[in-house]
Amino acid sequence: MKTRKIGALASAALLMLGVAACGSSSKEKGSESSGASSGSKTLVGAGSTLVAPLITGDWIPEYQEKAKVAVTYGPIGSGGGIAQITARTVDFGASDAPLTEDEFKEAKGVVQIPWALAATDVAYNVEGVGNELKLTGPLLAEIYEGKITTWNDSKIAALNPGVKLPAEKITPVYRSDGSGDTFAFTNFLSHVSPQWASKIGHSTTVSFPVGIGGKGNSGVGADITNTKGSIGYIAIAYVLANKFDYALVENAAKKFPVPGIPSIEAAAKTLKSIPANNEATIVDPPASAPEAYPISTFTYALVPLKSPKADLLKPFLKWAVTTGQEFGPKLDFAPLPPEIVAADEATIGKIES
Amino acid sequence: MSATAGQMGPGPALRGDGRLRRRRLVNRLMEISASIAALVAVAVLAIVIISVASKGISSISIEFLTKNAPLFGQSGGGIANAIVGTLILVALATVMAVPVGILIGIYTSEFAGARLASLVRFVLDILNGVPTIVTGIFVFGLLVAGKAQSGWAGAFALAVIMLPIVARSAHEVLALVPKAMKESALALGVTRWKMVLRIVLPTAAGGIITGALLGVARVAGETAPLLFTSSIFANEVSTKPGGALASIPVKIFSLTEEPSPSAHSQAWGAALLLIFFILLLNVLARAIYARSSRRTTRAR
Amino acid sequence: MRRGLTDRIGDPTLRSLTTLASLAAVALLVLIVYKVFDQAGEAFSHFGLSFVWESEWNPVTKQFGAADFLYGTAVTTFAAILIAAPMSIAIALFLTELAPRQIRRPVGVLVELLAAIPSVVLGLWGIIVLSPVLLKTIEPALKSALGWIPLFSGEASPVGLLPAILILTIMAVPIISAVTREVFETVPGDLKEGALALGATRWEMVKMVVLPYSRTGIVGATILGLGRALGEAIAVTMVIGHTEHISANLFGPADTAASRIASEYLGATSSLQISSLAYLAAILLVLALVVNMIARLIVRRAHPKIPTTPGILR
Repeated sequence: MKTRKIGALASAALLMLGVAACGSSSKEKGSESSGASSGSKTLVGAGSTLVAPLITGDWIPEYQEKAKVAVTYGPIGSGGGIAQITARTVDFGASDAPLTEDEFKEAKGVVQIPWALAATDVAYNVEGVGNELKLTGPLLAEIYEGKITTWNDSKIAALNPGVKLPAEKITPVYRSDGSGDTFAFTNFLSHVSPQWASKIGHSTTVSFPVGIGGKGNSGVGADITNTKGSIGYIAIAYVLANKFDYALVENAAKKFPVPGIPSIEAAAKTLKSIPANNEATIVDPPASAPEAYPISTFTYALVPLKSPKADLLKPFLKWAVTTGQEFGPKLDFAPLPPEIVAADEATIGKIES
Repeated sequence: MSATAGQMGPGPALRGDGRLRRRRLVNRLMEISASIAALVAVAVLAIVIISVASKGISSISIEFLTKNAPLFGQSGGGIANAIVGTLILVALATVMAVPVGILIGIYTSEFAGARLASLVRFVLDILNGVPTIVTGIFVFGLLVAGKAQSGWAGAFALAVIMLPIVARSAHEVLALVPKAMKESALALGVTRWKMVLRIVLPTAAGGIITGALLGVARVAGETAPLLFTSSIFANEVSTKPGGALASIPVKIFSLTEEPSPSAHSQAWGAALLLIFFILLLNVLARAIYARSSRRTTRAR
Repeated sequence: MRRGLTDRIGDPTLRSLTTLASLAAVALLVLIVYKVFDQAGEAFSHFGLSFVWESEWNPVTKQFGAADFLYGTAVTTFAAILIAAPMSIAIALFLTELAPRQIRRPVGVLVELLAAIPSVVLGLWGIIVLSPVLLKTIEPALKSALGWIPLFSGEASPVGLLPAILILTIMAVPIISAVTREVFETVPGDLKEGALALGATRWEMVKMVVLPYSRTGIVGATILGLGRALGEAIAVTMVIGHTEHISANLFGPADTAASRIASEYLGATSSLQISSLAYLAAILLVLALVVNMIARLIVRRAHPKIPTTPGILR
């Protein structure tokens, strides 16, 4: 009796050691099974922090009131939106970065629906230089590569005659979580700096050579606030809310448009056609649009084509891309262009349970 | 007892005034550094608690306790959903971990042979050493991937952390129950299970409760295991563990990562609430233990 | 004596229930190891063991290596222990040899309460209270005094290794000092009195009797503290700055394995990245298991009566 028990415990312990020793490579991914969150009239989503102010501040309160559907949104970053819809732990994801081919493959039957339009600003915390410092893309690339290290660098000074630049060290701030702002920003840098494109590239997370990381747009904002001499890319709504100083970034027409709804809309107008997967990238728009802000971005809802919550999801998405757009402007979200709304509605129609 | 050292007069090998003075000086220096070390540790505790209290007290208000987070860009509001969520998560974890923990304690102190008991205790100690972030990954893989975050998953992760604490302390106090007491009961013809339920457990109750309270105090402040299991929660009070539940630690974590001073003061307020709750549990646990150990000592 | 039915089934029921519970604990540990290794499988078959020493962590090229984070984990953990161990031994000496009887208990309890402060609160305190002090006074002072050592020569920074090390020190001290104190209390009184009677000062008595007698226990206690510091994720991720580049600069940003898992696991967009983070977790788990086993075996062999689960009362 006693020896049997010792045997059982010992074999369990051995099993443990065995597993520890050889590891295991059996693949069992959660992506096949579906069905996020129990409970009937609730939708759970997560992802982009760029779009979070709009979703949590306006859409959810309004929509819950109107449709009597409880919507929960977790601002965990666009990477999180992609990852969690892929793992099917949420009913919808949200990302400012369109899915890559690989991501589509791994996500198994997820579609992307552009549902808001905004921009990523470049904010900074430097005493005495005031707002609207002028910067160019290649310059930003050099700052984030660690090549330009002080604020009074001659290249910054040349762009900003008359501005008293301090000899302060530049601390670049980036996102520590997977982020659509990182995607838009590094995508822009890859467009304007071949060096950046080849050495660092663009994605929702990249390996930054210098700087410190903050979690979410809030975390980047906190780091900018706390760090003298810092510069960071951050969603426009957060610049507005925290009254950060922001830079004017040069576009392809060599102009320095103020980030805001008109310059975002000007960038969106350069969109020629919408591909079948709804990818609508408007970073670094052509010189033919002199008013266009160069780091504008659509942000997407990510939804499985086959969802057990289809009957709740479809009306919510439809409401978001139509009525929901009215809430955007006060947070510096530009309304979606009509052709995008049309494409969205077509895609929403394909979702089924 | 203090002034005796170094005053006993020099031993045979210790002639010479200079030498003796040096030895006394070294002794004094070492005594002072040891006292300073203790002082520093207590001072750090004091500084942390005073920081939290002074920065947090101004945020504590009825609104803070009963409202949820404000809309984007606004200040005010509170952490009601996190308070309710933490209470539910911790309660569920307690219900999962405490009975199992006590059963394990009974096994190791009453039923198992010495070597088996020692093996189980070893496993519990190892379990206690698993990094909590790894516990989070484990529970994500087990209960969240392909399903959804939920209060159940979060509570289970907390229970995994709580179990070894409860079981180990249960073992320690059950082992303290005097042998004579058990043997006389058995000699009177009481069966073993009745002896355990009627004599051993009641005698050790204080210690077992203490262990449970310490387990509760420990998991109430855990963030890492909830990060992947119960962090996508609604900005409203929810009592349904079927969906993710908010919690005070996760709330502090996200409030800290916000730029606005009002979010920071809310983080401090939440930290004050959490620390108060946890220290209270610790003090309570110690008080119960002090009372009950007096009783067991007397019984011995 | 005639026994009722309940009596006859009572004993085996309780026995099997408790056995089952104990088996469940063992199974839980096995399951944890299995699940974490299972998730790490893809990265393991992709990168093999070289994952451990490769330092590239690049989601763009899908190259993942743990070296930078293991370096961060090693530096923060060892530096924290380097400060915490002597301090804890000193505290334990104070509590067992020096302090007047009436303050031993309260001071001991206060040191133990340090362990009760949640890591997220320490992180909050670290980033908002501690880090500005480090940035403005401590780091410049260290730099001007010890700047010729590369460790102290870097730019001061609000986030980085130094605040992480200090926070981990605060977490390790109560664990090491609690166990060390118990070990000291097992030193036989007559040995100590003998040394004092021979004319030794109190420090000489400690050096000649207490420390040698407790050496193994102190080592075990220190390793136990190391295990605690090794796995801390939240407080570290709040103060360390999240970068994947090894630098000798103690002031600069870095990252640890646990902290990287905390910041990236929920948002990793490729299955290889998720799996690589699980691989990090698996490494951490193995390290923690090994460290804890060693610590516990050491303490248990030398002092079988001292339980080595921090946070429980005796």
